[in-house]
Amino acid sequence: MWYKPILWISLLLLWPPERTRWVIAENSSLSVNGSTNINKFSCEIPSYDQTDTLTVSRRNKEIALTGNVGLKIITFDCHNSMMTRDLRKTLKESQFPRLYIRFLSLSEMPQLRPEPQQVTGWVNIELAGASKRLEINYQVSMDDQKVIHLLGSRNINFSDFNLVPPRKLGGMIKTNDQLTVAFHLRMSAVN
Amino acid sequence: MKKILISGFITGCILFVCSYGGLYLAVRFFPALFTEYNNPLFNSNGNRDLLFYLHAFIFSFALAWFWDRFKSLFKGPFLLKGIEFGLVYSIVALLPVMWISFSALDVTIAMVLSWFGYGLMQAMVAGIILAKINP
Repeated sequence: MWYKPILWISLLLLWPPERTRWVIAENSSLSVNGSTNINKFSCEIPSYDQTDTLTVSRRNKEIALTGNVGLKIITFDCHNSMMTRDLRKTLKESQFPRLYIRFLSLSEMPQLRPEPQQVTGWVNIELAGASKRLEINYQVSMDDQKVIHLLGSRNINFSDFNLVPPRKLGGMIKTNDQLTVAFHLRMSAVN
Repeated sequence: MKKILISGFITGCILFVCSYGGLYLAVRFFPALFTEYNNPLFNSNGNRDLLFYLHAFIFSFALAWFWDRFKSLFKGPFLLKGIEFGLVYSIVALLPVMWISFSALDVTIAMVLSWFGYGLMQAMVAGIILAKINP
């Protein structure tokens, strides 16, 4: 039995995990859609100001997707200056200036074809000092220019992050608790 | 004093129903007019809701005193006296407040005009009630 650990280490060295790195491009974006009892709103972070990397690795049947995306709350644009400021205030931008999406796993290895592939995966979303682990529905594809598109969307609640949806005029105008977060990461593969 | 308090309270109750009922209906049927309230200028966490709903009573007690002090200046039937009282209040108090609000706060002209119209209607209703119950 003494040889078992040596055998395992040898196997790992001989068959290292399949690993790919994706560099996130600046034109990646994130949007938040929500509603109040009087209107709907759509707020966007139209571009990503960092060059972060996501790593996809496979070991046996497990697919790990690791890496973080940290988005500045101040870059949210709701196409209405008052609404933009209101959202930033609600998300406690002065205390917690960034929203983090920490990628954890994928349900299967992306095939990177022009046709969108549906996969799911787990992420940790950190917002306003609270963190929540969520399963995301993704669409993964690769276009002719070898740009990898990772589209993810998920419904979240303000209350998941201990945030109170804004209410105005004594509660006559109320923001609904549910928001839809959607992101579109444009990436290129590197070795 | 007792007369002022009683008339103020009665006016407050009626104004409470008219003001917030009217506001509720306006939000429900004319939602586009209220989209600009999604603004950090307006309290959003609900900790001042009680103060918001007490406004009708604060307004009514103040106008009840004002009416009692100056009612002798208003002539004619109670309806006319009430309307004139509302106009006087709006020109003397509301107009300058709206002026300074528009000049100092990041609010639109439409919003300020709606506040003026709302205050004018409240003052006229209060004036009519006060002219009737405290002639």
